[in-house]
Amino acid sequence: MIVTCIIDSLLRLVGRKMSREQLEDKLFLLKAEVEGFGEDTIDIEINPDRQDMLSTEGVARALRAFLDIDPGLPKFPVRNSCKKIVVKKGLDKIRKYISCGIVKGVETSDQLIKEYMRLQEMLTSTHGRNRRKASIGLYVYDDLKFPIYYETELPERIEFVPLGHDERMDGPTILQRHEKGVEFGPIISGFQRWPLLVDSGGKILSLPPIINSNDLGRISEDTHNIFVEVTGTHLPTVEQCLNIMTTSLAERGGKIESVEVSYPNGPVVQTPELTPREMEVDVEEIRRLLGLDVTYKEIQASLKRMCYGAKVSKGTAKVKVPAFRVDILHPWDIIEDVAIGYGFDNIDPTLPGTMTVGGVRPMTRLKNKTRELMVGTGFQEIMSYIMTSPEVLNEKMERTTPYVGTANPKSRDFSVLRNSLLPVLLDFAGRNQHADYPQKVFEVGDIVLPDKDAETRTQQLTSLCALITNTQVDVTELLRELAFVLRGLGLEGRFKFQSSIDSCFIDGRAARILVDKKDVGIVGEVSPTVLTNFEIGSPVVAFEMLLAQEGTYQKPY
Amino acid sequence: MNQHNQEFWYGVIDDIQLTEGERTVLSELVEIDKKVQAISLAEKLNERPERVVSILNSLAEKSLIELEIQEIESYELTDEGLAYATEGLPELRLFEAVRKSGGSAEMDAAVSAAGLSEETKGIAISWCRKNGWLSISKREGRTILTVEKDETHSQVQELLELLKDGEPGIEESLLDGLVQAQTRTLVETSTEKVFLASLAIEESKARSLIGPESGGILNLTPEMLASGQWRGREFKPYNMEIIPPPANVGRKHPYAEFVDWLKEELIGLGFTEWWGPFVETEFWNNDVLFVPQDHVARDVQDQFRVDEPYSHGKIPDEKHFEQVKAVHEDGGKTGSTGWEAKFSREIATRLCLRAHTTPVSMRYLASHYEPPHKMFIIDRNFRSETLSATHAQEFDQCEGIIWDEGLTLRDLMGYIREICRSVGIKKLKFKPGQFPFTEPSVEGYAKHETLGWIEVAPGGIFRPEVTHPLGIKETVLAWGLGASRMYMAAMDIDDIRNVFSRDLTYIRRKYFAR
Repeated sequence: MIVTCIIDSLLRLVGRKMSREQLEDKLFLLKAEVEGFGEDTIDIEINPDRQDMLSTEGVARALRAFLDIDPGLPKFPVRNSCKKIVVKKGLDKIRKYISCGIVKGVETSDQLIKEYMRLQEMLTSTHGRNRRKASIGLYVYDDLKFPIYYETELPERIEFVPLGHDERMDGPTILQRHEKGVEFGPIISGFQRWPLLVDSGGKILSLPPIINSNDLGRISEDTHNIFVEVTGTHLPTVEQCLNIMTTSLAERGGKIESVEVSYPNGPVVQTPELTPREMEVDVEEIRRLLGLDVTYKEIQASLKRMCYGAKVSKGTAKVKVPAFRVDILHPWDIIEDVAIGYGFDNIDPTLPGTMTVGGVRPMTRLKNKTRELMVGTGFQEIMSYIMTSPEVLNEKMERTTPYVGTANPKSRDFSVLRNSLLPVLLDFAGRNQHADYPQKVFEVGDIVLPDKDAETRTQQLTSLCALITNTQVDVTELLRELAFVLRGLGLEGRFKFQSSIDSCFIDGRAARILVDKKDVGIVGEVSPTVLTNFEIGSPVVAFEMLLAQEGTYQKPY
Repeated sequence: MNQHNQEFWYGVIDDIQLTEGERTVLSELVEIDKKVQAISLAEKLNERPERVVSILNSLAEKSLIELEIQEIESYELTDEGLAYATEGLPELRLFEAVRKSGGSAEMDAAVSAAGLSEETKGIAISWCRKNGWLSISKREGRTILTVEKDETHSQVQELLELLKDGEPGIEESLLDGLVQAQTRTLVETSTEKVFLASLAIEESKARSLIGPESGGILNLTPEMLASGQWRGREFKPYNMEIIPPPANVGRKHPYAEFVDWLKEELIGLGFTEWWGPFVETEFWNNDVLFVPQDHVARDVQDQFRVDEPYSHGKIPDEKHFEQVKAVHEDGGKTGSTGWEAKFSREIATRLCLRAHTTPVSMRYLASHYEPPHKMFIIDRNFRSETLSATHAQEFDQCEGIIWDEGLTLRDLMGYIREICRSVGIKKLKFKPGQFPFTEPSVEGYAKHETLGWIEVAPGGIFRPEVTHPLGIKETVLAWGLGASRMYMAAMDIDDIRNVFSRDLTYIRRKYFAR
């Protein structure tokens, strides 16, 4: 995700003057890559694990600690506002969870409001999985009458002026006409009753997760006290979104206040819950995993540079994880942050003596041998896409062969997996009518066939295919070359050609290729019908054969 | 590119350089020693006439020959003309019949004796009268024909016979006959461009350009070697400085050569090549890698779902499945919180096209024991993209793992540095990275002359949530190489479609060399 910050605004929050290069270097070491600079802006790519850095405030907070300006656990005192949110029955299956908070005294301006909205959008699109898992609403706190009710209502009976509009709409109309309704409507449209946030004055705050009301949900330059609400289907995600949103606003001078959320059959909780999570990490494990002989002091300093509270003693690092971090699942996540805090530029790479013997797969060796024989026979190697179309595989080939298909291709041209190389090479020939003749091309590659019994319901086989096209072609010449290749593979006396009839080839000019009496492929002159289907203007002789799937034709010693 | 460009240039040094074809045509001209048609040259040389004309043109450009272009009329018998050429003209036959019957005959008898049909009868009588060969008179109600000359000569007949015998030229003396034959549509006339060539230089000069005798030996033959004839003689020098045009002989694909080279380097570092299927279950593609089941990477926008003929695969090892499930739901026994969400078997068994090569690393770890191990794979992966200059539905990845006791983040960085060094990347810097299945993670950036710092080598240590369900207690390092990106940078390719180009001429003219 790209976060665009105004450089001045960012550096003011950081509290240090820095050149663009310095900023770029430091962010690079902090896992954030600078994508580019605008006139007075900087574009920073934030990895999806660092949801807390999706705003200028978040980036500034991380930099402040990293640069030792303000290391350690950021403090976010929370006062109890004694305001209440009441969750009514009927939301369990629709959108069960809600967490809220109040931030008072927030700095606002046109620019800042835009940035708050962008953080809200980014959080809900990534961490909130496009609002399905969690969505966020911001409201003018001073206009609300508490307690606020989180309830359900029949769509037709929901009626309010959605944000950015000036006329009242009912629920179904919002889903049909409002752009957010169209985009996110499917999340709730399947339910009989829709979630709704209403204050004690009967005013609608929003239709979560679709849209706020224009009345209560429009933050302006005059708004300094903000009510933040997060609803969703996954409680940890809902809480994390609220934590990130409220702590970001607090970076702009806001004071956080908690509210009480009471669910119909319990529990009653205070949100946001910003108490840091405590974790213990074994110092030896840190040293072992990083390969660094770091001292207690270094570990402690490194962790503080990453916004952790840290105390290292008696072989254990006691770590306080800030409530805005959503990516700390395991002690190893903290160990990585020790390395980042220590500085990747301070870590010297080492090369261990892990002794192993390398080698290619037997199949690669066989493929290479085959390719060399084909090149020696005068063929140009080509490499095609594995994906192709049913038209190429079957229609143009006058075949009906089974293939593996995908459900969501972007184009029919690349919608199924090739089950044979011959159609792919004929397609290639059809595209190269203008190129110099003669054309002798080959490919060694994998084909995929359906197989009901296999783990992935497929069988993947390595095939060799070659074709010659010219104003005049000679199938006996191709047989001579094929025999050269087969002999080169060590198959003297083990292969046979057996006349055969195949719809793709001219009658009387096709033969099956037998190796050790097993049918492995076909050779012949391609039928004019097939050539016409592929829009090929010259005759073609071709062969395709499966290579020994065990990667060798040699019998074991 | 046309076929004649394949002709190999090896002219003789003498200001003028001749191609093989030019030399052959010129020597034939010297032999004939007179003005000659291109078509008869072509016949003698057993060559296509167009090719001979094109060679003559280039000889004329070099002022070695004069090439005269004439519009020449050629004549061909019509069916009627052909019949007369064999049987004789009707008027001639009628005249002969009358003459044989004593110089005078009754018409019907003469016609029948001459073997004329109703159709040709009129023609015969008309031309006999016009030519003044026969006179017609009425006697006692009968029509009598009488010869007026002792013998006749018909230019038309002579002409028809000549044409029938395939004589090309027509003598001046037969011109009247030709006009008559044309008006009687016995002969068809067509105009043809004829190229007439003759030497424009001294014969000796021409011989010196072509012949071995004057300058020295052109072709060393087995006979010369046997007889020793070559002794004391000079060899005609060739122009050895001419750059021949590209030839279309058998060759490997340039990208395949790049991959071969990459594999060679990795084997040198002790890595063993491994393999995995294109069609995967999401279990191997995502779940085993601790990618949450609602992760955006699994969306239909990104990852190909397989639905034909089967949409779901099998779980080969239930014990492994249970471990993976536990890790996702609550971290299992790894000390992780997991994703705190229910794990779905339906999603796990869903079939997809693998979106990266990491499931292959997973399958390797699941099927091998007793470290140390080093494995690599370079192969195709799939993402649901529209093919464009910057995106492709298929791309190759190169990745590897190192599985051993006591490996560290510094070792990982060391390996990445070593791998990059072996593929020619000299300047490398590291940044922390992020992948769902590794912790810690790094990204190696290489300094490219024109592109600046580009990301080339991601890597990381597989998370306990990944290795624990596989029963692995040691550290497993994983690294990747932006193989196609490196190839594109090395080959100055800025359109991803050119990696697997479908243009034969492009492939024939692209060379990878190290």
